[in-house]
Amino acid sequence: MAAISSGSTSQTDLTIKGTQAGLQRVGTLLVGPAILLVIAVNVLPAFVGFYSSLRRIFFFTDEGFVGLDNFVAIFSEASTYATIARSFVFTFGSLALAVPLALLVALAVRQLGRRGRLFLTMLLVPWAMSPIVVALLWKWILLPSPGGLLASTFIALGWSPVALLTDPSAAMPTIIVVGVWRNFAFAAIILTAGLGQIPNDLYKAAAVDGHSVWERFRRITLPLLAPSLLIVLCVLTISYFNEVQVIIGLTTGGPINATTTLAYQLYQTGFVELDQGRGNAIAVVMFLINLLLVIAYVRLLGGSKGDGK
Amino acid sequence: MNWRGRLQFALLIIPASVVVLGPILWALSTSLKPNDRIFAVPPRLIPDAPTLTHYARLIAEGVHWSFFNSALYAVTSVVAAVSIGAVAGYALVRFPVRFKPLVLVLFMAALAVPSYALLLPTQIIFVQLGLFDTRLALPILYATHIIPFAVWMTRAHFASVPIELEHAALVDGYSRAEAVWKVILPGAMPAIIAASTFGFLYSWNDYITATTMVDSPARRTLPVALIFFQGFHGRDWGALMAGVIIATLPPVTLFLIFRRHLIGGFSEGSVKG
Repeated sequence: MAAISSGSTSQTDLTIKGTQAGLQRVGTLLVGPAILLVIAVNVLPAFVGFYSSLRRIFFFTDEGFVGLDNFVAIFSEASTYATIARSFVFTFGSLALAVPLALLVALAVRQLGRRGRLFLTMLLVPWAMSPIVVALLWKWILLPSPGGLLASTFIALGWSPVALLTDPSAAMPTIIVVGVWRNFAFAAIILTAGLGQIPNDLYKAAAVDGHSVWERFRRITLPLLAPSLLIVLCVLTISYFNEVQVIIGLTTGGPINATTTLAYQLYQTGFVELDQGRGNAIAVVMFLINLLLVIAYVRLLGGSKGDGK
Repeated sequence: MNWRGRLQFALLIIPASVVVLGPILWALSTSLKPNDRIFAVPPRLIPDAPTLTHYARLIAEGVHWSFFNSALYAVTSVVAAVSIGAVAGYALVRFPVRFKPLVLVLFMAALAVPSYALLLPTQIIFVQLGLFDTRLALPILYATHIIPFAVWMTRAHFASVPIELEHAALVDGYSRAEAVWKVILPGAMPAIIAASTFGFLYSWNDYITATTMVDSPARRTLPVALIFFQGFHGRDWGALMAGVIIATLPPVTLFLIFRRHLIGGFSEGSVKG
């Protein structure tokens, strides 16, 4: 917001060089290309997506308006509910692992000072890697026969190798761990920055008052970190709910659909089976769930900021 | 640092580095082992007869062309996105722009919406426009996905350069463009580096956009080529791990060089909102 106000003071300063209307023309001209591209690539497809979800489109051939038929078809299939449930398991399972880890890392980074930066940099290396490449790497490590790092180690220890990616009950936890391994440290950047905003005096005062470490964490750190936690929750929820590359690379939705989330179903229906009307309907459903989740977070965490606790 | 601090640090960093760097080192080790050693039990981290045959095999299969495609798309996207985005960021700070609040909301919304959610309608549009499977498809999409980040990161930095500096340059007889080039741009350099690095990672690391927007082998990116390679030679783990290493080196090297700017860019952005 500071940027906007400084922008308006400079307008008056710079009017020496031209009229207000002339300046506005230049300003709009400079922002124009960025706006046009964002509208063309983000806004336009959103409308085309909604529009297509109401039509029957196969293999890029539009067969006409069908109303809500695509949505009815999606929700009359029992498997859809299981798919939505798996999306939530993947999203919240990943969050439950990533957020506490990121918080611990952020606390450690602040504690360690200059070395903390080194620690954070190291943890961020997987985040700099491609998700599909990460999937390929972990597929090799988890290969359930000699050669796979895990299996070879197990065999050497006299245990039998485990097939984490092809076992229906183990596949989901496994892809959650790999997904979190790749990007949880990104959340730690935001939480570290948030911790840096909390005045040290508060902790000193609390220490003088004889509050324990846990109490200081609960009474000072957590409430004052709420804005950063809100950002982290929103960013990670959207990122996990729409994660498809790790799933394509590791399990392709299997075994027996155990890792088929909505995001993967969209890939399968829209891009593989080329049922594009129905695929867009799935995308619309995903968009609505995304929106609801973000609204819920803002209500939950954004509201607590005003309590002054 | 006293011994307790050192011990604390060691207790943290040793297990963390095994978990984080271990898998990457294992890929490097596999990529250097001859085929008859790859499946050895117990596993050996240090290859005893290192070889570059797997890397040679990737080149024999033409995977290096996909590497060049990835590099070309990423560099083009970053140059376009950061110049367009930084100009927009500057104008939003220093010029009156019609519907400014709405414009800012547009960029923020574009930041929040995942590109995957819009991929299917984008594919339909690109097929209609004849952009599908062309060399323009990916740079257009990547650049536009990076622009909101570039605007968001540079705007804060342009705002922090005192307007007086710009005035002083104008008084000294510089033109507006010269003033921006000589005074303002150096001040915003950290943000420009942060946005460029992030943009490179974004474009280079993408798989899903590349696999759905480009079809011809000649225009494929590296991640797509690796997945195709896996489809044909699924058990050739040596070559696949060589692919993992060459796909990982450019983004991780850039990340390590510009880590301060990148981490700084995201932490400032999240704190200032």
